[in-house]
Amino acid sequence: MNFEFNRFVEAMFDRSPPYILEHVQLVLIPLGIATAVAFPIGVLLTRPRFRRYTDRVMGIFNAGQTIPPLAVIAVFFPFFGLGYRPALIALTIYALLPIARNTLAGMSSVSPEVKEAARGMGMTEWQILNQVEIPLSLSVVMSGIKTSAVLTAGTAALAALVGGKGMGAVIFAGINFFRMELILAGTLYIAIIALAIDRLLSFIEGRLTPSYMK
Amino acid sequence: MVKIIKGAVHDMIRLEKVYKTFPNTTVPAVDKISFTIEKGNICVFVGPSGCGKTTILRMINRLVEPTGGSIYIDGENIMETDADQLRRRIGYVIQQIGLLPHRTIGQNVGLVPRLLKWPEDRINKRVMELLEIVGLDPRETARKYPYQLSGGQMQRAGVARALAVDPPIMLMDEPFGAVDPIVRGHLQDEFLRLQQEVKKTICFVTHDINEALKMGDYIVVLNAGKLVQKGTPLEMLSDPANDFVKDLIGDDRGVKLLDLTRAESLLQASTSETDKAVRECSCYIDAVQPVKMALEVMMKNNSDVVGIRRGSEVVGTLSWTEIKQHINKISGDQ
Repeated sequence: MNFEFNRFVEAMFDRSPPYILEHVQLVLIPLGIATAVAFPIGVLLTRPRFRRYTDRVMGIFNAGQTIPPLAVIAVFFPFFGLGYRPALIALTIYALLPIARNTLAGMSSVSPEVKEAARGMGMTEWQILNQVEIPLSLSVVMSGIKTSAVLTAGTAALAALVGGKGMGAVIFAGINFFRMELILAGTLYIAIIALAIDRLLSFIEGRLTPSYMK
Repeated sequence: MVKIIKGAVHDMIRLEKVYKTFPNTTVPAVDKISFTIEKGNICVFVGPSGCGKTTILRMINRLVEPTGGSIYIDGENIMETDADQLRRRIGYVIQQIGLLPHRTIGQNVGLVPRLLKWPEDRINKRVMELLEIVGLDPRETARKYPYQLSGGQMQRAGVARALAVDPPIMLMDEPFGAVDPIVRGHLQDEFLRLQQEVKKTICFVTHDINEALKMGDYIVVLNAGKLVQKGTPLEMLSDPANDFVKDLIGDDRGVKLLDLTRAESLLQASTSETDKAVRECSCYIDAVQPVKMALEVMMKNNSDVVGIRRGSEVVGTLSWTEIKQHINKISGDQ
C-alpha cells in the first residue's frame, strides 16, 4: 500500500465529510439511550431495596461488554435484519456498562456523614437523592458517559460492516481497495469526533458541576 | 398525653424502657433505658465506645428505630409522628459536621428553613442572624463553601444549621470532637454562653468525661447499653455510683470538681450577709466559669471573695472558705 498526499487531501475533504453527521449520530443516539437506561438503573441499584441485585445486574452489563459488537448484531439479525437499527442496538448495549458502573461508583462515593446529616436535618429520601447524592456523584457519572462516548465513537466504525453507515464506510472502502489515504482519513475523523464529543460533554459537566469542585 | 402547665418545669424528652438490638447481634445495644430530660437542660450521655450513647441519640430523632419501649417528646410518642417532620423540629449536630460540600455555608444553614418552605428573604435574614450568633462573619462566610472553612468554623456552621428553625431540642453527637483542644475549649465556652440565651433542651454525646462534667446539667453514664448513673456533675463527682463511674472520672475527683464545677453551682442562696459581700467584692467571674477560675481570680486580686455575675447582674459571691468546705466534703467521701 502506498501513500499519495493529494489522494489523502481528497479523502479528507471530499470523500469523508458526508459521513461525519452519520457517525456522530451513531455515537450520540446509542449514548443517549444508554445514559437514559444505565443511569436510573445505577441509581436504583444503590437504593437499599435493590442493593442485593447489584452484582447480578452488573454481571449482565459486564457480559454485554465482552460480546464483540459483530456478535451482538448477529444475535439480533433474525429480529432486526442488517442495517442501521441493529447497529444502534449493538452500540447501545456496548455503551451501558461504563455509565452504570460509574453511576454506582459515584453514588457510593458520597460520604455517609453527609447523607446522615441530610437525613438528620429532615430531608426525605427523595430530597437526599436529588439534592445531595446525584449532584455529588455527577462528575464521576459524567466521566463514565465520556468513557462510553469515546468507546462508542471507535466501535461505531464497525456499523458499516452491516450496512449501518458511518465513518466505517470510508475505512472499509480503504481496506477493500488498498487505499491507505481513505483508512487514514476515516480514522482521523473518528478521533476528531471522539474528541469533540468528549469536549462537549466536559462543557455540559462544567455547567452541571457545583462550583466547589471546579 | 401530658398536659403542659405554662411556666412549670416539664419533661421535654422521656424514654421508657427503650431497647435496641441490632440485626445479627444477641447483646442489646441499648438495654431497657428509662430517663427524662427536663426542658432547657443539657443532658450529656457519656461512656466508652459501644456503650449505646450514640444509638440513644439517634433513636430520639428516629435515625434508628427502637426495638422496644417508647420515646416521648413533649408528651408525644415519636413513633406516631412522621420521621422527616420530626427531624426538622430537632436540631442535629454530628462530629463529622456533614455540611453539604456542594452548597455554600449560607445554603447549608438555610437548609431546614428551605425544607419548611420559608420565604426566601426570611431565610436570608435568618441565615445572617445565625452566623452572627455563632460568631462567624455573616457577609464573608455565607458565600463560602465548606472546604474553605477551618474545622472550628465548620463546627460553628454546623451548630448554626441545627439552630436554624429555632428547634426546642438539639441532639449533639460529639460536636466538638474533631477540633483541637484549644478550639474545643472556646467552642464549649461559647456554646454554654449561647445556651444561656436560647435555653434549648440538649442531648449531648461525648466519650470525654471532662467535657461531660463541663457541659452537662445532667450526666447519664452508660456502659454496655445499660444506664449506670444519672445525676448532676456535682453528684457524679461527689457520689459516684460504683467503681465504673469512679474509673471513668479518674483519681483527681477533687481537683476536677474545682476545675469543672461551674461557679453558679456552689452559689449560696442570697442572704443579707452575701448581699454585703457582693458590695465588697473587687473582682468578678461569670456564673458559668469553673470554681478553679474563682481561685485564680482571688489569688490575682489578693482577695478572699469573688463576685459571681450572670450576664451583667451580680447574683452572689463565692468565698475561699466555701470552696475549702466543698473540697473537704468531697475528699471526706473519697
